[in-house]
Amino acid sequence: MKVVSMFVPCSVDLFLPDIAESTVTLLRRAGVDPVYHQGQTCCGQPAYNSGYRQEAKAAARHFIELFGEDEVVVSPSGSCAGTVKFHYPELFQDDPVWFRRATELAARVFELSQYLVDVLKVDDFGAAFAGKVAFHESCHNLRRLGISAQPRKLLAAVKGAEVVPMNQEDFCCGFGGTFANNYADISESMVQDKVENFLGSGADVLLLSEPGCLLNINGYLSRKHPQKKARHLASFLVENMKEGRS
Amino acid sequence: MKIRTEQFNQLAAVEIEKARVRPFLKMVPEFLYRKRAAGLPSLPDPDAAQAYAAAVRAEVVNRLPDLLEEFERNATANGAKVFWARDAKEANDFIVKVAKERGVKTVIKGKSMITEELGLNDVLTANGITPWETDLGEFIAQQMNLPPFHIIAPAMNIPVEEIRDCFMEKAGMETPTVDPVELGYAARVFLRDKFQGAEMGIAGVNIAVAETGTVINVENEGNIRFSKSAPKTLVSVMSLEKVIPTMQDAINMIRVLARNCTGQRISAYVSMESGPKRADEVDGPEELFIVILDNGRSKIYQDTEVREIMQCIRCAACLNICPVYRQIGGYAYGGAYSGPMGQALMPLLFGLDRTKDLYRACSLCGACASVCPAGIDHPKLFLNFRDKDVKQDPRFNSQQRPAKERMFFRLFSLGMSHPGLWKLGARLFRPIFNLNAHDGVVSRMPGPLAGWFRKRDMPAMPVKPFHQRWEELKDKKS
Repeated sequence: MKVVSMFVPCSVDLFLPDIAESTVTLLRRAGVDPVYHQGQTCCGQPAYNSGYRQEAKAAARHFIELFGEDEVVVSPSGSCAGTVKFHYPELFQDDPVWFRRATELAARVFELSQYLVDVLKVDDFGAAFAGKVAFHESCHNLRRLGISAQPRKLLAAVKGAEVVPMNQEDFCCGFGGTFANNYADISESMVQDKVENFLGSGADVLLLSEPGCLLNINGYLSRKHPQKKARHLASFLVENMKEGRS
Repeated sequence: MKIRTEQFNQLAAVEIEKARVRPFLKMVPEFLYRKRAAGLPSLPDPDAAQAYAAAVRAEVVNRLPDLLEEFERNATANGAKVFWARDAKEANDFIVKVAKERGVKTVIKGKSMITEELGLNDVLTANGITPWETDLGEFIAQQMNLPPFHIIAPAMNIPVEEIRDCFMEKAGMETPTVDPVELGYAARVFLRDKFQGAEMGIAGVNIAVAETGTVINVENEGNIRFSKSAPKTLVSVMSLEKVIPTMQDAINMIRVLARNCTGQRISAYVSMESGPKRADEVDGPEELFIVILDNGRSKIYQDTEVREIMQCIRCAACLNICPVYRQIGGYAYGGAYSGPMGQALMPLLFGLDRTKDLYRACSLCGACASVCPAGIDHPKLFLNFRDKDVKQDPRFNSQQRPAKERMFFRLFSLGMSHPGLWKLGARLFRPIFNLNAHDGVVSRMPGPLAGWFRKRDMPAMPVKPFHQRWEELKDKKS
């Protein structure tokens, strides 16, 4: 069986472990053997986005050492995958040895839905859901990695689920990492708009494939509309599979 | 105008409250964004046209000195007088000198962000010269003493009732009305004799064509063409990146600019000056001065990592799509240029120290870059500015970051590269983070994370993070 290395973002490891467990289930169901390196930490995106490139480089070197020999690296976060794919090579543009290692690795890193649909060609996991779902297009998935069709294919295969359109599906939810905390006025207004659009769509659940957006949108829902929830697509698929988690 | 980039957070908070009361910010940018989306497909190949525009603008920035010299040669050969201004003061002094030498008391102006950057109206007024803004939105903003709220729709935020009151008080309107056509008519009547009496016109420049020495303006009201052709003297002010190699490039740029701006195939008016009026011509200014403004742009040109901001054509597509602009509007940015293009340009013009919130108040969603017809990657520039700050790059007045933040990232970096430390840190952090947890939810958090928790919860950190669960999962293969 093909070995697939899981890159589990620190937010998922420490706060949202069910997303990583669901990733294991989906990969196994799709016929590959997921492995997990215990040495993984954080990809360094918070440091990079805050301008701390030297600090981000330390994270990048560690990541490249840890994952460098893996044939395929898959992450349930397009934003973290994007850091490895795009920012690592940038960080080492003046360092030929590390630049080569970073670019070689970048080509082998995939976001989960992208890997399942584009590479493994699996989109039906036998999930069934009687209800309406809306989909939030996360910024880095959509605009950095060009991912939108893949999660929607996975969704379309869920029996009984009605995918309803949502106003401003492709608008930022206001997460943006440290932005959400440091510019709370603006960020709160953005997530409020996102949630209003979700409620206005009539969907029972809001699906997305990015842990950061999930923390932000669910954080706001939990406070203001506790009966409503957003779910990571991987968790949603596994929860609604006949066989459940494995 | 007064630069208030340091007050970003206070101004933003005020504007968010205002926007909640009156949801115009939910409507106007979306309206313009939809116009653009509907207008772009009228090009035979929209992607190719956008790519051509971006390539031309990139070429301009890379060949800037050569193109400017070519433009100057050809404009001068056409009879225009070219003045190079190193900074705002030189530009303003020159314009005042031209006005005074000709005994000018009244100036009519076409809307131009470059003269906002110069603070020209205040300087003219201080020298006894009355400037009249003749673009309807800019006229309203001028009469109400407000900065532009949007680079192409400067008064889009002002309620019609306030415009009515302002026109009753200052623009000679006699019958109160909130009918937009009537209000527009009142402004036209009021401005008509200003046009007729004006001795000098001042306008910005959308495109300066190097091969022909032509300055081009695009607009929808006809006021710029009027301002440029009625007075005897015309001063056209351009920042130095407005130049474009050929007339053919310029024509494509006009098509792309209009569509990105308002979704139009072409603006209602396009005016071109290749020199002043010639002996056999009936219309046009007798004298044409072209002020080419540097004001910090040569310095931007020298930094190849950031100079792509000079590719900007001021179409405002980035403002209209920006989720931050849509919450706070244009005033919060504290200068003439708002939205992502302002966040990328003003830090380089005014210094990274005076604009630190402009390049940080961004979620890096990338919507701006995805629509930009000039090929600018705004988030990449913001990340570059943040990097400059952290490493205290001596250019652009970068500033050292707070000691606490530097210490945090140093420790964070140590953790990221040492898994043992990382896991220990996570174990120690958990009880602190979960101190106020109830039913698996944390709703309160003092200290540096307080911003998040004002209106949002976080899940409590689970006892078993994934890396521990994996030890049980890994052998349970299905």
